[in-house]
Amino acid sequence: MALFAELRRRNVFKVALLYAVAGWLIIWFVDAIQPAVTVPAWTNTFVYFILAVGFPVALLFAWTYEITPAGLKKAADVDQTQSIVYKTGQKLNAAVAVFLVLGVLAVFGQRLLPTFEFLVPGVPEGAAPVSEKSPPEIRSLTLDNGLKVIVWPDHDIPNVVLYNFVRAGGRNEYPGITGLSHFFEHMMFLGTSNREPGEFDRTMEAAGGANNAYTSEDVTVYQDWFPRSALETIFDLEGDRLQNLTTVAEVVNSEREVVYSERRSSIDNNNFWKLAEQVQATAFVAHPYQFPVIGWPSDIEAWTENDLINYYRTYYAPNNRTVIVSGDVTSKEIFKLADKFFASTPAQEPPPPVRTIEPEQLGVRRVLVEAAAQTPLLHMAFHAASATDPETLPMSLLLNILTEGESSRLHRLLVEDEGLALSIGAYQSEGFDPGLAYFYLTLPPGADPVVAEARVLEELLRVGTEGVTEAELAKARNIILAQFWRELATIDGKAAALGRFEVFYGNYEMLFDLPANLEAVTAEQLRDVAARVFHANNMTVGVLRAPPEESTQ
Amino acid sequence: MIRLRPLVFLLWAILYTGAVSAQGVTLPDAHRVQLDNGVILIVHEKHDVPLIGLKAIIRGGAVTDPDDRAGLASLLAGLLEKGAGDRSAAEFAESIDAVGGSLSARADLESITISAEFLARDADLMIELLADMLRSPTLDAAEMDKLRDRQINLIRAAKDGDLRRLNPLYGTAFLFDEHPYGTAIDGDEASLAKITHRDLRGYFADHVGSDRLIIAVAGDFDTASMTEKLTAAFADWEPAAAPLPEIEPPLPIEGRRVLLVDKPGATQTYFWIGNVGVDIAYAQRAELDIANTLFGGRITSLLMDELRTRAGLTYGARSVLLRPSMPGYVAMVSYTKTESTVAAIDLALALLMRMREQGFDEETIASGKNYILGQFPPELETASQLAGQFAELDALGLDESFINDYGNAVAMADSETIRSVINAVYPSPDDLVFVILGDAELIREDVARYGPVTEMAITEPRFRPEAP
Repeated sequence: MALFAELRRRNVFKVALLYAVAGWLIIWFVDAIQPAVTVPAWTNTFVYFILAVGFPVALLFAWTYEITPAGLKKAADVDQTQSIVYKTGQKLNAAVAVFLVLGVLAVFGQRLLPTFEFLVPGVPEGAAPVSEKSPPEIRSLTLDNGLKVIVWPDHDIPNVVLYNFVRAGGRNEYPGITGLSHFFEHMMFLGTSNREPGEFDRTMEAAGGANNAYTSEDVTVYQDWFPRSALETIFDLEGDRLQNLTTVAEVVNSEREVVYSERRSSIDNNNFWKLAEQVQATAFVAHPYQFPVIGWPSDIEAWTENDLINYYRTYYAPNNRTVIVSGDVTSKEIFKLADKFFASTPAQEPPPPVRTIEPEQLGVRRVLVEAAAQTPLLHMAFHAASATDPETLPMSLLLNILTEGESSRLHRLLVEDEGLALSIGAYQSEGFDPGLAYFYLTLPPGADPVVAEARVLEELLRVGTEGVTEAELAKARNIILAQFWRELATIDGKAAALGRFEVFYGNYEMLFDLPANLEAVTAEQLRDVAARVFHANNMTVGVLRAPPEESTQ
Repeated sequence: MIRLRPLVFLLWAILYTGAVSAQGVTLPDAHRVQLDNGVILIVHEKHDVPLIGLKAIIRGGAVTDPDDRAGLASLLAGLLEKGAGDRSAAEFAESIDAVGGSLSARADLESITISAEFLARDADLMIELLADMLRSPTLDAAEMDKLRDRQINLIRAAKDGDLRRLNPLYGTAFLFDEHPYGTAIDGDEASLAKITHRDLRGYFADHVGSDRLIIAVAGDFDTASMTEKLTAAFADWEPAAAPLPEIEPPLPIEGRRVLLVDKPGATQTYFWIGNVGVDIAYAQRAELDIANTLFGGRITSLLMDELRTRAGLTYGARSVLLRPSMPGYVAMVSYTKTESTVAAIDLALALLMRMREQGFDEETIASGKNYILGQFPPELETASQLAGQFAELDALGLDESFINDYGNAVAMADSETIRSVINAVYPSPDDLVFVILGDAELIREDVARYGPVTEMAITEPRFRPEAP
């Protein structure tokens, strides 16, 4: 007890407490500034080590020495009646209190402001949106190698979404390498010079992240969904596969089988896509939109390692990509991470432009697919416009009026009133080059596709002459406006929408013009675009039905 | 005198709350009231975007379909949208579409659910349409005939389409057999054909009413006024005429049985292999979720890693849990080209055995926990998601601890418990139900090795074989 009392008298406990609190504050501070400043990876370990070694030293010092009015003396030499240890103890208490208050403030401060980036010079601010309609917290920055990074902070949930848009898709392919863009999407998960095949997914999932990717005629898009705590891991993984991808023959061949399985499921054993593939290949005679995104089977088997390497270098170059991040982040920490993990990949010559323009169609085209089917399918495709064409928004409103919802024109007529179809839908491909306005119908068993086709065409021609009503236009506007808000309700939707507008329209801010643009579209514009697009000479008709002998069984 | 103890305590409290909230998502507070007639209202304000999400649940669902009338609840759900109050079917649809709203009803195994999403400015319209469709649907006979015939034909169309969607239908029918959980939720071609308008009216009177309605709504509105409006719309509604049936827990299948569904010309074989599993209130839910994530719930799961990444046998392989109020199923699902049918099924069985024998190592378990915790927050991000979660918990008699305690339960799960959960929930390879869809001519002999085979054609008008 005497030792205990003496320890207490000499303020050893208080020094220990002060040390612990100050140490905690130091560790916390080092952690907090890490996202904002580049420090070596061993910094944390080093700080912990120094603090651990210092602890016994500090205690020993507190035991041995005592502060007196005459300065520091050995405690044993101090006359206890003259001792000011009580005063020193009060000073120590005060110091502990100050550190604690600092700590409390810092913890709260960190919640309000995730990093201490304001302390750090040299982290770029990024460009704010120009338009008043855009949320002011969005920032964008283009790195020296041409990679543009756009950030939309949103702190609702502790999660983050990263989209990596690559301007490479089916339209960049030619006979012999069809499906290569899509195959590449698979390759991006299959190993780098630093990571084994499968390690990308293992590392990401172990950090709480999930991912996916898709390929279209125009772009390949990589998506990561992860908790904020995995931010650095994700940037590390993405930076690695964008710079150090490897193509091992054995892995490539195993993955060919996986892609085949995907093709068998989504096309060969799925009548919708079996027909759509043929319609697409028939509607385009010159432009590469004629190729199925998944590739023709013989090409899936045949492309070479060289094809893969060339493709990677050209199309995955930073100047051909755009990265979008939304969620629980600040723009500065993202720009810092982008600089650390993405900046060292060199820019490349821009990819060769797609020069081919689809020549005007000179008459109706037809394609028939015979396949086991109880319900025939009817697809009708019309050449329409590219994403940026002024006709695209009117067309999208028009397709809405025709097929979106149970009150839409064609659904009411063909499905509800006349029973000619079980279902009808439509979409417009909004890509870099003029694509298709595409109608797809499932017909009742035994139905004659000719009847349904004539009925649809009749209605489409009617829109071209008579137009739509103001009420129909208002309805379509409301549907698209509601979709706009639904998409922006999630961090995933935010990233997807920003990316789509940045890549296809050249400026993400145009997303926020959508409500005003919708208001500006007139019924006359809808009639005009209908008249230009919907006519027989601009149409490709596809029918899928059972072979005649089977249907008579 | 400066006293340290209060300060130290304060610091501890701050750090402690920080640690707990870092352990995942909690449900926000909601205002819950039960009206005198039994209707439950759950209301939660959320103002980030000008939207309102609503979920209404009528407890009952497909399990209340009469024996030979599978699809009756589903057909009723469809009919609720086909005219109500003083609106015809066309006018009802027009009212929704005109404001860019969405409102749809469908049947589930144990409920009919109505999901709605409207712009905030259209809240009154949304409530009016909801009240009309539940309280005074037209249930027009001609509309019913049209919808029933269309539904029959859509099932035929589905059989021409992606068979991944059909596999679970054959699976549940073959596994649960006569138990209500074996009911085809949207019916089959044969059962739908039998349904009459009289059946529909009788079902509506017996099974739809205030005593089994839960409405949860979240979004950009004022709680008091929203509660008032919903109360006004439903306070004087009558209860349903018939009581909710009690469901007995289904019994696991002992031994093996195989259903081979023939689709001539198919170039892939689709398989579903499972047995009876656990219910939603299963006490070790966190441990089971970890096991299922690691077995077949993510890209690097055992099934995906072996079947897809290593063997290139398939594009996708999953382990699926159905957890209703009574034990549902646990099943392995995948597909492969016809020639590799046996290789893929054998591998799946071997992986099931491996998991049962070895469990998962600590590192893998830690990874699974992080994955579940990291992917959980986006499930409760939007108003519609929150409304859905509130309504579903209430319908199943669960409280917010189902969500709020989940993160900690996942974090605390230990490998021993996970191991014992695996052996309790995942069936022994000796006791399995196999459903195999493919070109029977090419695989008939091969699949006989898995057990006694019952064969049927995909064109047969039901999802289960004819009783012998």
